[in-house]
Amino acid sequence: MRWEHWWFTASLRLRSILRRTRVEQELDEELRFHLEHKIEEGIAQGLSPKEARYRALRAMDGLEQRKEEMRDMRRIHWLTDFLDDSRYAIRSLRRTPGLTASVAFTLALGIGMTSAVFSIVDAMIFRPYPVPHPGNVVTLVSTTQDNSFDYFSYREYLDIAGKTKSYDGVIADADMEAVGFSAGPKAIPRVKGGKLVSANYFHVLGVEPRLGRGFREDEDRVPGRAAVVVLGAAFWRQEFAGDPSVLGRQVRLNGVDFTVIGVAREGFPGMDVFGHPDFYMPLAMARVFSTNREKNFFEDRNDRELNISARLKPGTTLHQAQNELAVLAKDFEREYPKLNRSRGATVHSHFQMRTRDDDINWKFGVIFAILALSVLLVACTNVAGLLLSRARTRTREIAVRLAIGAGRFRLIRLLMTESLILACLGGLAGIAIGYGVVEWFRTFKNVVLMTDLPTSMPFRMDARVLLASLALTLLSALLCGLVPALQSTRTDLVNGLKSADGDVPGPKRLWGRNALVVAQVSVSLMLLTASFLMFRSFESSALDGNGFAKDHLLMTSFDPRLVQYSTAQTQQFYKLLAERMRKTSGVRSVTLTQNVPLGQDGFDSLALVPDGFQIPRDRENFSSTMDTVDEGYFETMGIRILRGRGFLASDTADAARVAIVNEQFAKHFWPGADAVGQHIRLDSSTGTPVQVVGVAETIKNQSTYAPADFVYMPLAQHPIPRMTLMLRSAGDPLQLVQSVKDVVRTLDPNLPMLDTRSYAEYYRNQAVEGPRIAVKLVGSMGVVGLLLAIAGLYGVVAYNVSRRTREIGIRIALGAESFDVLRAVMGKGLMLVAMGTAIGLALGFAVERLMNSMVFDSGGVDIVAYLVVVPLMFLATMLAAYVPARRASRIAPTQALRYE
Amino acid sequence: MSKPNDLVQGTLDLLLLKMLALEPLHGWAISLRLKSISGDVLQVSEGSLYPALHKLEQEGWISAEWKQTENNRRAKFYSLTRIGRKQLESEAANWQRLSSAISHVVELSEV
Repeated sequence: MRWEHWWFTASLRLRSILRRTRVEQELDEELRFHLEHKIEEGIAQGLSPKEARYRALRAMDGLEQRKEEMRDMRRIHWLTDFLDDSRYAIRSLRRTPGLTASVAFTLALGIGMTSAVFSIVDAMIFRPYPVPHPGNVVTLVSTTQDNSFDYFSYREYLDIAGKTKSYDGVIADADMEAVGFSAGPKAIPRVKGGKLVSANYFHVLGVEPRLGRGFREDEDRVPGRAAVVVLGAAFWRQEFAGDPSVLGRQVRLNGVDFTVIGVAREGFPGMDVFGHPDFYMPLAMARVFSTNREKNFFEDRNDRELNISARLKPGTTLHQAQNELAVLAKDFEREYPKLNRSRGATVHSHFQMRTRDDDINWKFGVIFAILALSVLLVACTNVAGLLLSRARTRTREIAVRLAIGAGRFRLIRLLMTESLILACLGGLAGIAIGYGVVEWFRTFKNVVLMTDLPTSMPFRMDARVLLASLALTLLSALLCGLVPALQSTRTDLVNGLKSADGDVPGPKRLWGRNALVVAQVSVSLMLLTASFLMFRSFESSALDGNGFAKDHLLMTSFDPRLVQYSTAQTQQFYKLLAERMRKTSGVRSVTLTQNVPLGQDGFDSLALVPDGFQIPRDRENFSSTMDTVDEGYFETMGIRILRGRGFLASDTADAARVAIVNEQFAKHFWPGADAVGQHIRLDSSTGTPVQVVGVAETIKNQSTYAPADFVYMPLAQHPIPRMTLMLRSAGDPLQLVQSVKDVVRTLDPNLPMLDTRSYAEYYRNQAVEGPRIAVKLVGSMGVVGLLLAIAGLYGVVAYNVSRRTREIGIRIALGAESFDVLRAVMGKGLMLVAMGTAIGLALGFAVERLMNSMVFDSGGVDIVAYLVVVPLMFLATMLAAYVPARRASRIAPTQALRYE
Repeated sequence: MSKPNDLVQGTLDLLLLKMLALEPLHGWAISLRLKSISGDVLQVSEGSLYPALHKLEQEGWISAEWKQTENNRRAKFYSLTRIGRKQLESEAANWQRLSSAISHVVELSEV
């Protein structure tokens, strides 16, 4: 009924809009038909034609009024009025092209910045998974006291998939890893990105491959039996030029031949924000890929390498799923008390996963968004000020309109239409600016994402961002138009009509304008504070604890799993590699490390119990970040050994197990005692004892913000397959690349070198340039805010001066000194600035607290930042007030009195 | 100038719907018929007739069609739509309820 009704009337409205003249004609014809009959009736009753006509018209109670009433019935008035208003607004805006352009530009800055930043926030947080019905895809995580986002083991996956009832399918996948790919058996392998997935992966996500098929259940049942692969769409286009005959072909991955059975959909680049796998392989083939060699992937419940996702059944809530999984986690804990003690599990929505606490990227996105919205706010208040000044010159016009009977609401609508058109101009230009800024972000791909794996910057100006820009445009139309519209239609008619400059003196009129200036000053002070704080914390983070060597270092990584080495072969390879590199000319020192400091890959964490440390009752162990290195590490990286010794060649697999801890670790667990000689036990208090033989200087390994507890293990005693070779060179480190290639070729020509770079450059991009982009972005917001606030204040003081020209002239004529005038005019500006500064300081403190709680671990207030920002703001704004005030003090009385 | 009072205004829709439920009519015919059936009691100005018809049309309760009259002139004929019939039923029922309630009150014998 309702729907039918809507359908019926919608077509009528549409007809009234699109066939306006036709509808008007019909209206005329219908009334004429009636009148003619009425006239005929009158004549038949004996009236003269003239009288009959007169009577007929009278019976209508005014023909034109009736017509208008009938037009009202069509309910499209709002549209026709809006079109009329728009035409009028465009005409009047074209009369002041300078003002229109500056308003549009100001709004464009605000809207552009905000939409660009929204593209970041959207990519990081809101953009749904690229699958059908993305809303009911949830992620399961394992939780411990130290890690709320832990992985699951294969066995746990099978249990969860078998025992849960909340889902229409449970899938598992491992993180994307480097895969050695060669098109033929002879070709030297190249590094690509591969992802292990459960057989039901594509099916449950609802993204069946575009070509060929997904995995069958039986291909994922027996470890190592079905060597089949699905290609990523982008890879397929790149490598096979989109050739459909690729199905059934053999490709060699990590030295094993796989049969191509499908190509993933074009619109499915993978579930991650940054990475886009080139290959998907069934979990059953895990042995061929980078799973932990020390553990048995298919059996070991402690080999946690899998992410689990699932599709909620319709009607099942997240809460129900969480309860179900919590019960299952309790069962695990009972069944495997040793492995699963204090280990829980929970279910997260897409949003919860994207806003996980241990991820810093989205937090920056949110802070940027808050700051960008502040820029938009400053821009809008600035424009509101400009529109107020403009309204002043139109007081007369508005008074006339009111006097001849225009409703106030109708006039507000007219003025709002104007600001809407201005905002649309600004929005269009803003989209262009936003597009430019997003492109600018994308140019940092090689700075932010330094990896050989297939990744891309996820920021783009898509329909979602455009929609957000539209919403911002409407919002800014409202923000910058409402105050001027309300204020200028409150004109006192008599005064407005009488004087040419119908501005009514009085506090009420100026109140809005002053509030706007205070808002601008305070918000831009907050922006400046934020950008300065960010700048300072990046500077300090780039300085402290980063004293290790960076120059003259070449880094290149190896993963012998890519060519199916055993652990012994791997150890032998690294031993020979280091030996031969040491003998190469131009090489000063050589070391191997699992990860480089401040690199892209996370360090492993180590579960341990330090001897002599009282462990809380509810804990099995502590966890610390760790690195596996060989004996040359501390010397090559320039990290000082403060006590004890570094690793020696004598720390072999057969010797007693040793470790080196950093100073922070030593102080944390053995405060006041010598850490050297103490033992740590692995996993639990009954685990393998490892003697601490040295204490190293604390450096920032993982994060630029705060150093962490850290343990170093020798490679010989803690074999790790994927290691990075670090070479200290005499000259340019990149000149050593060829020598490394030569040596590797003599050892194994099939082994690819990954991420070969100058460490200095890598470090600069990761730890310095990346953060600097953020500083630049926030800094430019601060500068835009400051400029807008200066312009706003200048506008207000100048406006005051021009309004009071005659009054000032009289004062001067009566003997006021120009200094008195200056003081009187400046005093007003000063007061506004002081108020804005006070509010701005409060906002600044709030934003500092927010930034500290979200990204920087430091508490406390950065006094220096305020000592710089506040006087800067004060000086700049005072200058903005001084220029027009000085002009006022120089007013010649004779001229001023003749003014107007 | 007699502006129909509120009660009449509200019932004009009902009258028009009822009239068109019997047969499609053009405006002039409606005005004649209005006058003949209720002319003395209800003063419906010809002026307010057309806006009322337009309103009903925009609501979708009646639809209009240009047709030839018996003496070969083009006129706009209105007829009731399906949802108009439902509207008529509900308005008629409303009217019944209201009028019976009022007559009930009016007929209360004073003591």
